[in-house]
Amino acid sequence: MAVEMTMPILVVDDYKTMIRIIRNLLKQIGFENVDDAADGQEAYEKMQKNKYGLVISDWNMEPMTGYELLQKVRADESMKSTPFIMVTAESKTENVVAAKKAGVNNYIVKPFNAGTLKAKMTAVLGDF
Amino acid sequence: MPAANVAAQVRTSLATLKASDLQDAQIMEVLKLAHQLTDTMKLFFSSLDQSICQEFNYIAEYISKTRDEIAALRPNDIKTERIPSAGAELDAVVADTEKATEVIMSAAESVLCDDETDYDTYRANVEAKMMEIIESCSFQDLAGQRVSKVVNSLRHVESRVARFAEVMGVREDVMPKTEETEEEKRNREQLLNGPAIGGPETSQDDIDAMFADAGEAAPDLDQNSIDNLFD
Repeated sequence: MAVEMTMPILVVDDYKTMIRIIRNLLKQIGFENVDDAADGQEAYEKMQKNKYGLVISDWNMEPMTGYELLQKVRADESMKSTPFIMVTAESKTENVVAAKKAGVNNYIVKPFNAGTLKAKMTAVLGDF
Repeated sequence: MPAANVAAQVRTSLATLKASDLQDAQIMEVLKLAHQLTDTMKLFFSSLDQSICQEFNYIAEYISKTRDEIAALRPNDIKTERIPSAGAELDAVVADTEKATEVIMSAAESVLCDDETDYDTYRANVEAKMMEIIESCSFQDLAGQRVSKVVNSLRHVESRVARFAEVMGVREDVMPKTEETEEEKRNREQLLNGPAIGGPETSQDDIDAMFADAGEAAPDLDQNSIDNLFD
């Protein structure tokens, strides 16, 4: 099934600059319907109200981390199938393994570029 | 009253009793034994008083030495000058980088969104924005200088604390374990390790071994190694 380029994407990061970078990269890739949240809690509340085609989340945030958000999303029937990509500076193997066990669809380490983001989105969503 | 003085007083009392006109031979025998006992006790208490006195002298010297070392540590200088100054420098680094990032991002976004139909105007705008980006990169020089000052302050504190620990004979292996703070607990539970320095590469063999034995300590992963986990 072809990826809908107008699908809403939720970017979760506590650094506004990083949200802006990801927004710009997504725009270059062709996705302009982008919403954002400053931490896992805000993202979860937004996800309860809106349906997103993809979540791109940082790990290290307060008060709710991206890891906690992932666990909550996967435990919630209404959103458990939402594709989830972790974009983080946490590059220890234990982090990757824990995220994979929790049900993350892919994992990107910072810093990254548009090519990496597009490749991971293609791996998760299919060709677009 | 020192124990040796008490013993001397008892001895004097016994001598007085002995000198009095006591007729009972058994009482005289008891007094004789008591006299011998007080002589022995006097010696014992004398040595005891001396050792306690030495202990107190040692403690007094130690306290004096500690006070001198704390003064040499200059804790007020560290608390009121160096640490706040280092904090202010780091805040400034964050503010500088934020400001520079804002200028660079805005310039790049402006170029990306620019109207290309009028070539000359477009070119002039691109050149102006590129200059803005180049100028903004000067933050790196300032940030480097600020971070150097922070590093120097930390080294200063480190050397003084290390010297203090050495002089005081602080040994980490005999120190009681400190309790985990709430923040440390959360960091551990949420696997908040922070960015790795250097980002060492991990081979596929290492990743395979890590998956075979999840309990083994694992190095950091680069993007290629992470990709392999998802293949």
